[in-house]
Amino acid sequence: MLLELNDYVGDMKRCARCSICKWPPLAQMKSWRFSQNCPSIARYNFHSYSGGGRMALGLALAEGILDDVTDELLNIVYRCTACGACDSSCKYNSELEVLWSIYSTRAHLVSMGNFLPEHLMIIESLRKEDNTMAQPKADRAKWAEGLNIRDLSQGGQAEVIYHAGCLYCYDPDLSSIARDAVTLLKQAGIDLGFMGSNETCCGSMAFQLGFQGDFIKFAESNIDDWNAAGAKRVVTSCACGFGIMKAVYPLLGKEMKFEVLHITQILDELIREGKLQLSKSIPARVTYHDPCNLGRNSEQYVPWRGVEKKLLGQFILREPEKVVHRGWEGVYEPPRDIIRRIPGIELVEMERIREYSWCCGAGSGVKLSMDDFALWTASERIKEAESVAAEAIVTACPWCERNFKDAIAQSGNHLMVYDVVELVKQAL
Amino acid sequence: MSLATKVYKSFESVVGPENISGDPAVLRSYMYQPFGNNKGVWADISPEAVLMPASTEEVVAIAKICNRHHIVFKAMSTGWGIHNLPGVEGAVLLDLRRMNRILEIDEKNMFAVVEPHVICMQLQVEAMKKGLNCHIIGAGSNTSVLASATSVVGYGPDGLSMGYSGRNLLGVEWVLPTGEVLKLGSLGADAGWFCGDGPGPSMRGIMRGWEGAWGGLGVFTKCAVKLFHWNGPSELEMKNAPPNYVLKEPIKFFRASLFSFPSLDQLAEAAYKLGESEIGYFICRLTPAFVGLQMTSGKNYVDLWQSGMMQQMLKYAFLFVIFANSEREFDYQQKVLAQVLEETGGQVSPISETKEMQEQTAITVLKVDAVVRSCFRSAGGFNTSFGAMDTVDLAINQIKAGAGLKEKYIKRGVIMDDGGDNSATLLFEQGHLAYTEVLIMYDHHDGESAQGALEYLAESNETCLKQGLGSPIFQISQVGTGKHGVFGPACFNYDTWLREIKKQLDPNNTCDPTAYISPDE
Repeated sequence: MLLELNDYVGDMKRCARCSICKWPPLAQMKSWRFSQNCPSIARYNFHSYSGGGRMALGLALAEGILDDVTDELLNIVYRCTACGACDSSCKYNSELEVLWSIYSTRAHLVSMGNFLPEHLMIIESLRKEDNTMAQPKADRAKWAEGLNIRDLSQGGQAEVIYHAGCLYCYDPDLSSIARDAVTLLKQAGIDLGFMGSNETCCGSMAFQLGFQGDFIKFAESNIDDWNAAGAKRVVTSCACGFGIMKAVYPLLGKEMKFEVLHITQILDELIREGKLQLSKSIPARVTYHDPCNLGRNSEQYVPWRGVEKKLLGQFILREPEKVVHRGWEGVYEPPRDIIRRIPGIELVEMERIREYSWCCGAGSGVKLSMDDFALWTASERIKEAESVAAEAIVTACPWCERNFKDAIAQSGNHLMVYDVVELVKQAL
Repeated sequence: MSLATKVYKSFESVVGPENISGDPAVLRSYMYQPFGNNKGVWADISPEAVLMPASTEEVVAIAKICNRHHIVFKAMSTGWGIHNLPGVEGAVLLDLRRMNRILEIDEKNMFAVVEPHVICMQLQVEAMKKGLNCHIIGAGSNTSVLASATSVVGYGPDGLSMGYSGRNLLGVEWVLPTGEVLKLGSLGADAGWFCGDGPGPSMRGIMRGWEGAWGGLGVFTKCAVKLFHWNGPSELEMKNAPPNYVLKEPIKFFRASLFSFPSLDQLAEAAYKLGESEIGYFICRLTPAFVGLQMTSGKNYVDLWQSGMMQQMLKYAFLFVIFANSEREFDYQQKVLAQVLEETGGQVSPISETKEMQEQTAITVLKVDAVVRSCFRSAGGFNTSFGAMDTVDLAINQIKAGAGLKEKYIKRGVIMDDGGDNSATLLFEQGHLAYTEVLIMYDHHDGESAQGALEYLAESNETCLKQGLGSPIFQISQVGTGKHGVFGPACFNYDTWLREIKKQLDPNNTCDPTAYISPDE
């Protein structure tokens, strides 16, 4: 299996308990107001709710010194968006796998039969309907009606497969963005197809919640389908899907005959090549929110499997050398490049961006099972956007957009929310 | 023993149900404390509950409940180290994380008023916006400003120009172990926060003395600290990828260089002269191992160490930083530095003159954000020894004693071979004060290594006593409540005064004495 708690004991027991996981990398801190990086510790305050606290509990579970799995333990483990900010901050100074320790703790608990009932509902929806939204599988392709996009579930091949993802397929407020994406790709002359009602979830939520058997089933099935369809590229508009396809799918050991791209990458490419021309002005001051799974969590993960040797007395040398994922290799520039190229738009940056970006709050099943926490986290980001006098927050993930819109509706705020794709469509 | 329901409910009525927990998972996460732990990572004793007060009033109410029900309490801020946990059964832990506001930055009078969970980096970034800067302790900018000012040591390498935390302390709001609120310095005379010693009561010596009471004398809920002139930009913008963030633009009139000397004694002479000349922003004796671990890790570090290059270049070296207010002052400081180096045989180490090192060093100096790299990353376990503050000469003697002592433990292979002389020596207040910490790295999960580290620490403490090298700073776990009892008789029986202070201020012994002193012999 991918997630074995014992594989991370070496990391968990070497946490220095310095609390650096609770802050952005210290050199990047810019103000007191936006000096937190982890929504979970910021909201719940007990040390347990930090990356370090969760590593301690993972270690305690691995060592068998935590007898009871209490409701509070499940809260600690799951009231976390798995945004990976703790992991990036820790790796500024250390090389510990904080995020994968959290994933593995969840998988360990699931293997013991411990999970939240809300999560089981998500997983049951996955098992029954191939999506996380408790919606009928048969309706999955409705969003694309009238687009005249090749349905590869009926056979045939395409150079590029568009994968919409569960939320775009079923959220009526958001599916227009998937339609825009397809329209833009077709307009640029891309040989495009999609899996129609046979498209299934990417499995990212199952993975993040610790249901790794379910994840593997969906991931392998997707890889097989896309290989069979002869795709050279799989393009998705869902940042969560992109993150899992880039970071985790390759660990399954199946040949992936295709390249995975996020919609912002291919649009940036098409704009640079002149196949899409942004000519209409959109006069607005906007800020860009980095989705965690498009950014720091999309680096291909290379688990360390090796031996620890002692040299110089007690210096611990890991052989082979560990690949350290610091979040720097995420997709940060393409969405910004696109926004900058739109006439009339002024892009201003918030304080917490790129590998130390603040999460929107929706990730890892939090939006579906603990909406109060998701909305609180989003409201913090909205305040940050307001602090730079942005009129709109632009993002590139349906979960971020959904959560921001809900938080804004709840607060009565006037900030606008856009997906990069929407702006490109408007600017053509 | 668990808290009686009635007592738990009393605490809950003070902080609210969201801010108290006796859940085993929550408590277990707090018990993870590798630094200062004698074995492994877990504390032996669990608190009965963790409480998170949000105000002075809530802390007062908690202290009163504790006194009424004879429950021991202990407060922590960022909580790095086992000394943050109660060392007795049946106690409650106060996590002050919700008391996290910068209440004021008084630009004109150059001070800030902070609550316990404001960390140095939060204060620095806000202070810089107003042309001010703050002292950051050597442990890093991830630590509490208030904790080092009121309760625990407080040394840092910018102390050359900005003093140390205990000295920078101004007005204080202090919840005594009994729950009474005491206001110190000008605050005690309703005259604001500007002074720690009057008008109003000055109790700096009783409250913290040299090293603080480590949470054994109540809870400090607010304090004011001095700020210092900052001549750099209001925001320090970074470039490059982690972990090598560097300043986007170099700072004017700022220069950091490593200097090496033919001998420790010549290094000491240079330190004295630089202090007397009243120049410099930051000084820290840096060793080959410390610098090497800042630069690299894994096999690259081993190769670097085994090449002997660092040892050759930085055998007796310090990092000295000039940060001037004008070009003329910058030139002046450079000339003085050059003269001191000439008189003492010091030379610029070629390693510090590369663009990469200049850039990297500037960030490390200004942000003090990479201590974990050099101390915890290589072997997991880390501890420190010696550390009494006195003169440069004593600091040099601490280096010599520590390096000599470490040799046999390195030969046994129980601590990491860092050359033995892996120490941080700092100067404060233009060289009037100095101290040395001798560092050790070891594997706290390896029984033999952990035992070896303990033996070294015990022997280093004994050496401090026998050779008159002062009371060590971070030896709570090794000598615990007995530390002052051991060192007191060698230092005018100061321990009897501490016991009396503890008795008077904490008649019910309600505030955990473990890391401070027991009222009884």
